[in-house]
Amino acid sequence: MILIGELSLWVAVVMAAWTTTVSFAGGKLRRADLIASGERGLYSTFALVLLAAIGLWTALLGHDFSLEYVASNTSRNMPSVYVFAAFWGGQAGSLLFWALILSFFSSLAVFSSRARSRDLMPWVTGTLGVVILFFLLTACLGANPYTRLPFVPLDGRGLNPQLQNPGMAIHPPNLYLGYVATTIPFAFAIGALVTRRLDNEWLAAVRRWALVSWFFLTVGITLGMWWAYVELGWGGYWAWDPVENASFLPWLTGTAFLHSIMIQEKRGMLKKWNVVLVVATFLLAILGTFITRSGIISSVHAFAQSPVGNWFAGFLIVAIAVTTILVMTRLRDLEAPVTLESMASREAAFLYNNLLLCGIAFSVLWGTLFPILSEWVRGTKITVGPPFFNAVNIPLGLLLLGLTGVGPLIAWRRASTSNLKRQFIAPAVSGLVVGVLLLALGMRDVYALISYTLAGFVTATIVQEFVKGTRARRSIHGEPLPLALVRLIGRNRRRYGGYIVHLGIVVLFSAFAGMAFKQENDVTLKPGESFLAKDPWGHDWRFVSQGVSRFDALNRDVLAIGLDTYRDGKRIGVMTSEQRQYRDSRGNPTFNPSTEVGIHGTLEEDTYVVLAGVTGDETAELRISFNPLVWWVWYGGAIMAFGGLIVMWPAAEKRKPNSGYRASLAPNAELAEAAQ
Amino acid sequence: MRPVTPADGAKMLRNPPMSRRRAVRLGTAGIVMAVARRLHAQAAAARDSAGTPNGPTDGSSGSNLFAMNQGAARTVHRPPKPGVAPHVSDADRDQVEKKLRCQCGCTLDVYTCRTTDFACEVSPAMHRDIIALIDGGYGAEEIVDAFVGSYGEKVLMAPTKSGFNLVGWTMPFGALIVGGGALALLLLRWRRRGAVEAAVRASERSSLPVAGVDATVDELAEVDAAVRGEHR
Repeated sequence: MILIGELSLWVAVVMAAWTTTVSFAGGKLRRADLIASGERGLYSTFALVLLAAIGLWTALLGHDFSLEYVASNTSRNMPSVYVFAAFWGGQAGSLLFWALILSFFSSLAVFSSRARSRDLMPWVTGTLGVVILFFLLTACLGANPYTRLPFVPLDGRGLNPQLQNPGMAIHPPNLYLGYVATTIPFAFAIGALVTRRLDNEWLAAVRRWALVSWFFLTVGITLGMWWAYVELGWGGYWAWDPVENASFLPWLTGTAFLHSIMIQEKRGMLKKWNVVLVVATFLLAILGTFITRSGIISSVHAFAQSPVGNWFAGFLIVAIAVTTILVMTRLRDLEAPVTLESMASREAAFLYNNLLLCGIAFSVLWGTLFPILSEWVRGTKITVGPPFFNAVNIPLGLLLLGLTGVGPLIAWRRASTSNLKRQFIAPAVSGLVVGVLLLALGMRDVYALISYTLAGFVTATIVQEFVKGTRARRSIHGEPLPLALVRLIGRNRRRYGGYIVHLGIVVLFSAFAGMAFKQENDVTLKPGESFLAKDPWGHDWRFVSQGVSRFDALNRDVLAIGLDTYRDGKRIGVMTSEQRQYRDSRGNPTFNPSTEVGIHGTLEEDTYVVLAGVTGDETAELRISFNPLVWWVWYGGAIMAFGGLIVMWPAAEKRKPNSGYRASLAPNAELAEAAQ
Repeated sequence: MRPVTPADGAKMLRNPPMSRRRAVRLGTAGIVMAVARRLHAQAAAARDSAGTPNGPTDGSSGSNLFAMNQGAARTVHRPPKPGVAPHVSDADRDQVEKKLRCQCGCTLDVYTCRTTDFACEVSPAMHRDIIALIDGGYGAEEIVDAFVGSYGEKVLMAPTKSGFNLVGWTMPFGALIVGGGALALLLLRWRRRGAVEAAVRASERSSLPVAGVDATVDELAEVDAAVRGEHR
């Protein structure tokens, strides 16, 4: 199977090249046979890449250490789930995984759209073929997972301990799914540009894929934050690391696109801008991959420095050049009869939203790349860390949060003064009440105060929309409240799903603001000693050291401390934190030691214990932190993903076409037969 | 079994004991395999020439999560200031450490790294240098300057707000202002165009005949005014 997998990988390269060539040729010559051959080639490429992936999984699960990738990323004593997940844990495997998802998504997109967008499809298929070909070539020539070692080691090195976490098993695939899905809208955009069919048809085809990408990026980023928080042990979930930024960039432009696409659908405006956003989202996903894999920028998450980066740099340059030429030569076709009736209108609000989202994207990109620019210009290496990103992005983020409440309430075309008053009085008062209340309670952090005031305002706007809509349904249809609410959402998935996403954003911002009140304590404890602390909510905590213990686990040596923990005098249990040294099956240490944090989480806060060191006399050095509202981050991400699912879910009438007619026609037909 | 080569395919084409189509298929497979082997060998040679060891412990295909440079600490030493007592509090010391980046590659500040990463030897060393400077009578700013002197600007968690770095700090806001200005101009132009088109539509509507009636809107309005006894 491994040999079949290896061979399939190479044949997939040829098949992808065939797909690209005949699809473009079919599009140019308008030959249906070539176009159909290209589509079949795409499906075959997926089948071949799947075989290649199965081959690698077989090698991993069968511990075939003759493959360098298997030996470098797994060991015999690793839990099977991580052996399975090691497929995407290293450079070469993750490239193959990328190619697998890309070929699958591409096949799905082409299969589902082949009948609708006939003119576009050969170009779409060809573009997808080019991108697949690039990834397959990179996987074959840049970092081949089937590279063999000149000897067969008895055991492998094992997977990086910090990747041996459930979050790792699901976080990278989600991000890859998100990144990869950006390719489909990009391919449709290229198809539309080449054929000059730049009406709304191509947008309809890509909207769902843009949502798929946004959904998986949202889930992937949230899981990544969770993984960083529970696994890296530094006490936070976002450090503005270049690789984190790389995942955030396409999310920002993708979110901007999901808003601006509505303006084109409703008003026929922003044709150029939407093409630019689709292309930018794809290019930023590739740029992020380049940053992650080239080692050009220092990052804890990055893969080791590798020549693969050059492949991505080359691809990026070519993609930028091709898309720029295409857009520039199609500017006239992208002209739209744009008019605006008022600055206070929904379309104007969406444009302000786009400005802010793209402004944040630019500042993140700028901060990420500025060290390279500085080195070029001044020859001096500098660091651009959280102080820069926070200083720049917090104000912009708060403006965006405010717009989250404003945009949906303003009418399309023109909002009258009475409309504005009617819509905004209650939310504005709610926001102010929250702000004044928190000020009276002693909150003095300016950003946190603004954040919660805006959160109150936006929440009130969302609640108001749901209340108004549900009331309207009740009065028109006489439905009971829960049914009216469910049907309100079900019949207007895009609108109310979007509001749920906005609610998730509010929860996230509230959680971020909570970290302004984070409290950190550096503690030294001998066995039996206790540490007393008061958390930001005013609760009294007592931690009693139970001493340090050493023991062996499945594939690691563990040094652990137990803290008997009390909150307001009531015992809540033993919190443990560990230092782990992973070993291979022969007992040799693999990788550097790692930390396992102890977390006691509630809706109010997380109590976060890190064993920072142990001195000779069993004295433990600990960091005990109180991190307010951390669970709200995970809930916020989950709410956003849930809202995204609602928006994506196919409308009922589309899922069951003509079902109502079938139900009524069948008896009539039977009656007719009976009458004869 | 011997792998199929392009020559096999050619031979089969010349002496067809099998169908021509099958021979072409086999020949293509042989070419694919030959090209694949050639490319694979070239890629392997490139990797070898780049000095990548073949052993399973090189980490070349792994992640950078543990690629710490434990030898990155440099000594930051200044002679104690005569007659100056230490005057930096523990809280201020922590703030200084939060401005300095640990050089092990973790991308964290010195304070966070030393209090959470027991495996790092760099941040404790930097912490010791900071303590020594505090004991020598140096203030927070002087300590930061001393570290910049030894490590360069990369030791700071954020660029200084001077010289070329100002471009870094101001560019995002500058871009937003320029983008906002451009958007404002665009919106104004669209609104003006919208107003003109609305006026044109209104005038066209008023001069168009009303459906089913042999009169324009303006003519009807005049008749209406006459009936009511109003003057227009």
